[in-house]
Amino acid sequence: MTKFLLSVHVLAAILAIGPVAVAASMFPAAVRRSHPAAGAPDNAPAGAAVDGAPAEAAAAVRTLHRICRVYAVVGVVVPVFGLATASSLGVLGDAWLIASIVLTTLAAAVLVVFVLPGQEAAVAELDGEVTAPAAPASARAARLAMHTGVFNLLWATVTVLMIVRPGSTTGA
Amino acid sequence: MHPRPSQLALLRIAAHVEVISLLMLLGNLLTVHAEGVSSLTGPVHGCAYLFVVIIAVREAGAVRHPAVLRSLVPGVGGLLSVRLLGRQNPVSLPV
Repeated sequence: MTKFLLSVHVLAAILAIGPVAVAASMFPAAVRRSHPAAGAPDNAPAGAAVDGAPAEAAAAVRTLHRICRVYAVVGVVVPVFGLATASSLGVLGDAWLIASIVLTTLAAAVLVVFVLPGQEAAVAELDGEVTAPAAPASARAARLAMHTGVFNLLWATVTVLMIVRPGSTTGA
Repeated sequence: MHPRPSQLALLRIAAHVEVISLLMLLGNLLTVHAEGVSSLTGPVHGCAYLFVVIIAVREAGAVRHPAVLRSLVPGVGGLLSVRLLGRQNPVSLPV
């Protein structure tokens, strides 16, 4: 039973967190492309060489945000089956696991509090729902990129902790 | 924000998984108490409960919405919030 629970846990981690990490990383760049005025050289005629590119980027922004939203919810499977696996293995009290749980909680908080709302704001602006944004689009895209980087770093740390399991007798 | 039909359908599925898995857990506890059933159905029920709460928060559009408070009820919370959200948006109730 432990093997089955662990399989579900690892599969869910790959299939749910992977897409969120990739899509969230691509999101800020897509936001920048969807605002051609910010990145275009001053002497270039507006939309001359890249006709339709901002519209394409806007579609990408929406799709990437949707991927993040949907797979963030699917990602709930990862900690639930992770806890079940740990309980079945009897390692719930181990320091490496407690550290992983704390880091996972932090990563989830970064995703829910900073990354997803930041993406929502960018999508709302594309839809024309925001008339007076607080900061220029490029600055907000940069901040979003930073938050996404923190999220990815936290997840990478947890993944390494899961493999190395410092202090565990079954560690690699 | 009004719930889209597909999201409400998702909530309905999660709500049914929530209540059925709880019944399976309790039934197993009262009868054979097979360890495999418990350790499999337990996480499934946990996931269904969290899915219900998350989808309810998203569809209600606010954390303090009555549908969200109902979704927190163990076991039948999902069905209660499906009922409430379905009543608010009757077009999406094909059942």
